[in-house]
Amino acid sequence: MRDRSQEGWEPKIVAFLCRWCSYAGADLAGVSRYQYPPSIRIVRVPCSGRVNAQLILDAFKAGADGVWVSGCHPGDCHYISGNLYARRRFVLLKRFLEFVGLEPDRLHFSWISASEGEGFAEKATEVTEKVRALGPCKRLHKEFDSNQENIW
Amino acid sequence: MVSVNKRITEELRAEAGRLLESGEIAAFLGYCRGSLPYAPRPFVARTAKDAERLIWNSFCVINLANYIPGLLQELDSEHGAGDEISGPKVGVVATGCWSRNIVIQIQEQRFTRERVLIIGVSSRGMVDRKRLHSAVDGMEITGIEEEDHIITLMAGGEGIEVPRWNLIRDNCRTCTRPDPVFFDEMIGEPQGERSIAEPFSQVEEIESLTPDERWEWFQQEISSCIRCYACRNACPLCYCSTCFVDDSRPQWVGKSLNATDTALFHILRAFHCAGRCTDCGTCESVCPMGIKMRLLTKKLQKDLLELYDFEPGLDLETPLPLSTYRQDDPDLDIVSEPAEQDGVRPSRKGG
Amino acid sequence: MDPDARKLLKTDWSHLLSILEERTDEMLILAPSLNEKGLVDWARFRAGERPVLERGLPLNSVKRFCFPQPEELFLFSCRPAEPGAFRLQEPARLEKNTVLFGVRPCDARSIELNRLPYEHDPYFNSRLESLMVIGIPCRETCSTCFCTWTGGGPQGTDGMDAAVWEYDEGVVVQLLSEKGEKFFSSLSATLLSREEFESLFASSFGNLSEDVQNPADLMKQKPLLSCYDAPFWQRVADSCINCGVCTFLCPTCYCFDIQDERLGGQGRRIRYWDSCMFPLFTQHASGHNPRGRKVQRVRNRFMHKLKYFPDRFGPLSCVGCGRCIRECPVNIDIREVLRDLLQVPGEESDS
Repeated sequence: MRDRSQEGWEPKIVAFLCRWCSYAGADLAGVSRYQYPPSIRIVRVPCSGRVNAQLILDAFKAGADGVWVSGCHPGDCHYISGNLYARRRFVLLKRFLEFVGLEPDRLHFSWISASEGEGFAEKATEVTEKVRALGPCKRLHKEFDSNQENIW
Repeated sequence: MVSVNKRITEELRAEAGRLLESGEIAAFLGYCRGSLPYAPRPFVARTAKDAERLIWNSFCVINLANYIPGLLQELDSEHGAGDEISGPKVGVVATGCWSRNIVIQIQEQRFTRERVLIIGVSSRGMVDRKRLHSAVDGMEITGIEEEDHIITLMAGGEGIEVPRWNLIRDNCRTCTRPDPVFFDEMIGEPQGERSIAEPFSQVEEIESLTPDERWEWFQQEISSCIRCYACRNACPLCYCSTCFVDDSRPQWVGKSLNATDTALFHILRAFHCAGRCTDCGTCESVCPMGIKMRLLTKKLQKDLLELYDFEPGLDLETPLPLSTYRQDDPDLDIVSEPAEQDGVRPSRKGG
Repeated sequence: MDPDARKLLKTDWSHLLSILEERTDEMLILAPSLNEKGLVDWARFRAGERPVLERGLPLNSVKRFCFPQPEELFLFSCRPAEPGAFRLQEPARLEKNTVLFGVRPCDARSIELNRLPYEHDPYFNSRLESLMVIGIPCRETCSTCFCTWTGGGPQGTDGMDAAVWEYDEGVVVQLLSEKGEKFFSSLSATLLSREEFESLFASSFGNLSEDVQNPADLMKQKPLLSCYDAPFWQRVADSCINCGVCTFLCPTCYCFDIQDERLGGQGRRIRYWDSCMFPLFTQHASGHNPRGRKVQRVRNRFMHKLKYFPDRFGPLSCVGCGRCIRECPVNIDIREVLRDLLQVPGEESDS
C-alpha cells in the first residue's frame, strides 16, 4: 500500500485536456516558460464532451491520485456544444462521486482556452497542491487482494 | 367487500382477455401466481385463456417495462417482422413509475408508441421482501392473505397480521406519482399526486456525513455484492447490447469479486441511469444480498431535480437531461458541496 | 443414515463450541451468521458467538470454498526491466486449513457432485484437501427444499468430515473421516453404540421423510432432442431476466471463465465464476454466440443440471437446496422445470 510518508511521494494526476483549448494552453504554458509541477499526466481528448465517467474512474482505478478535466469555455467549443453536454455530466458526476465518499479535491474541472498559458500553469499548480494535501488516493484504486483470509 | 387489488385483478383479466381475443394485441405482459406466496411471476399471456391467470397484488415488484423490447423481438420472429408501427402489439399493465419507464423507452427509440398498449393501474405501493421476512422474524412464510390495509402472513403455523404500509418499499413510501402518467386505458381509480414532506431524506442523511463516513457507508453497503447483476438485468434502463462490465479492451471493471471493481460497477451502473431512473425500486427488490443501491440513483434524481428541474418520463417531448443542455446551465463552480450552493441553484422545485 | 459410522460421540453444544473456539487461531473457521443486513451468510466464527442454524440455509452456498471467486492461477510482472519479468509466480495460498461449521446435507453433497467435473483439477483439489466440512443434518425442511427429489436427503452425510446430530438435550458428533477424527480428538464425550444412537434419534429425526427419489435415471432415459425442443422453454424464458442470482447462489453451478488482469506492471490470471445467463457465456471469438437468445440461455441452465450432467456423470447436478427458488427475482422454479422435463415423452432408443 502506498503511503504519504513514503519518501519522495509526488501525486499522480491524470489530466484529460481538450485538444482545441486546454491542451494548447498547456503548450503555451510550456513555450512561455511558466512553471508548473511535473505531476500532471496529460491525455489529449478531442473535446471535453468525450470524457465520460468510465474514463475518469479508470484513471482512479489505475492509481491516479487526482483527475483533472479541462475544456473550452462555454460558448467556445470547436464542436459548438460538446462542453455544454459535458458540463451537466461533470457537475452530476462530481457530486455523485462525493456522495459515495470520494474526497472533493480529488476531481477537478476547468475551462481553459488556448491563449491561457499562465492560467493553465496556475490551475495545474492548484490541482497538484490540493491533491498533495490529501495524500495518495486509496479509494477506487484497484489492488489485487490476494490474501484470502482478509475476506473473512 | 372485495379488495382493491382483487377488483383490479378481475378487470385486468377481462380487459387483457378481450384485447387478446380481438387480436388487438399479440401478447399481454402481466403477472401470474408463482410457486411462493410472496413471489408472483412475470408472465406473458398469449391467448384469452392465458389472461385468466393474470393477477395483481402488492408483491408485483418487477418493473414490466423491462420485458417489452425483448417480447416485441420475440413476437417479430414468431409473426414475421412487421414494420416499426404496424408490427404485432404488446399489451402491458403499468403503474406510475413503470409507465414513465415506457415513456423513456419510447424516447430512446427502443420501440414505437404504436406497438404498446398500456393498461394503467394506480400503484398502492409494493411490498419489500426483506421487510416481509423480518416481520415474521425470519420464519418461513407459507401463505399470505392480502386485504386493503392488512396483510396476514402465515408463519410458524399461525397467521400474523401486519399493517400493509409497514411492509411497503422505501421508494413506494416516497413516491409522489402513483398514477400512470402515460396509458391507453386505466383500470381502477387514480389516487392523485401525493405530496411527500421529505422525499430525499434518506439521501440527505448520507450527504450530511463526512467524506470518510460516506465512503465507509458505501463500502459497507456493497461489501456483500456477489456481482450477479440482478440489479442491472431487472432494470428497464439497462439495455446496452454490450454492458460496460463486459468490455474487455479497455476493461472498465474487473469481472470477479474485488472491492474496487464492485464499487466501480455500482457507481457506473447508477450513473448510466442518471436522468432516466424513475425510482421504481426494482434493482433493490431483486438484490438477493439486500444491498440498497437505490440510494445511489436517488441521489442523482435529487441533483437533477435541483440543478435542472428535471423529472424523467413525464412526457415524450422533454429531452433527457444528459442528452441536452442550456446555455445558461449553472457553471462548474457549483460542482461541489451542494450545501453551500443554495443561493445559486436555479431550482424551482425540490431542494 | 450411514451404516459405517465410525464413531458417535454424545456431548453438548457448549463443549462442542469450545472445541471450535480452541482452534480459531490455527484454522479459519466459518459458520452461518447474521450479517449487518440481518441476512444469514457465512462469516468467521468468533469465540462466544453461536452459529445461526435455525434460520434456513446461508445465502451463499459453500462452493466458493473450493471454487473461489476469483481463483488466482498465477501472477506475473510485465515490467521488462525488472528481474523475473514475464516469469510466472505461484499466488500465495492460504496456509491455514478452512473449517466450515454448520453445513447442511445439501451443501455438503454439492461438494461431492462438483468433484465429478473437477476430478483432475489441481486448484479445486488442493482447496478441497485443506477444507473440512462439519455438517448438521436437518430436523426440518423448508418449503423450497427438495433434496429428496435429487438423490440426497435431509439426513445425508455425503461430503461431511463430521456430522453434528442435534437432539433436544444435546448433540452427537459423528466422525466420518480422518480429518474429522483429528479435529475432534480433544472432545470429551460419551461413546455411543449404533443402537443407542438410533433410539436417541427415533424421536428427533423419525418424522422426516427418508423417501429419496433420484430422477437422474429417468432423465437419462429421455431423448436429448425431445428435451431440448420441448415447448415449455419459451414459457420459462418469458419470465427470466437473465440475471445470475440462480447460478451464483447455486452450490453446483461450476462454470468459469479465465482472464488476465493487469494493473500497472503487475498481472495475474484469474479463474472466475461465469453464468450461462450472461451474454459473454459461450460467445465465440467471431462474435457468434450459439446461446445468444434468452430462451437458449435459460434452457442451458436446466439442461446442464438435469440432462447433460446426468448423461455424463450419473447424478443430477442439483442438490435441492432451493436457493434459486427462494432468491429468484421472477420466481422461476426448478422443480416445475424438472416436472416438465419428466413429462417429455419417449425413451432414448438403444440404437
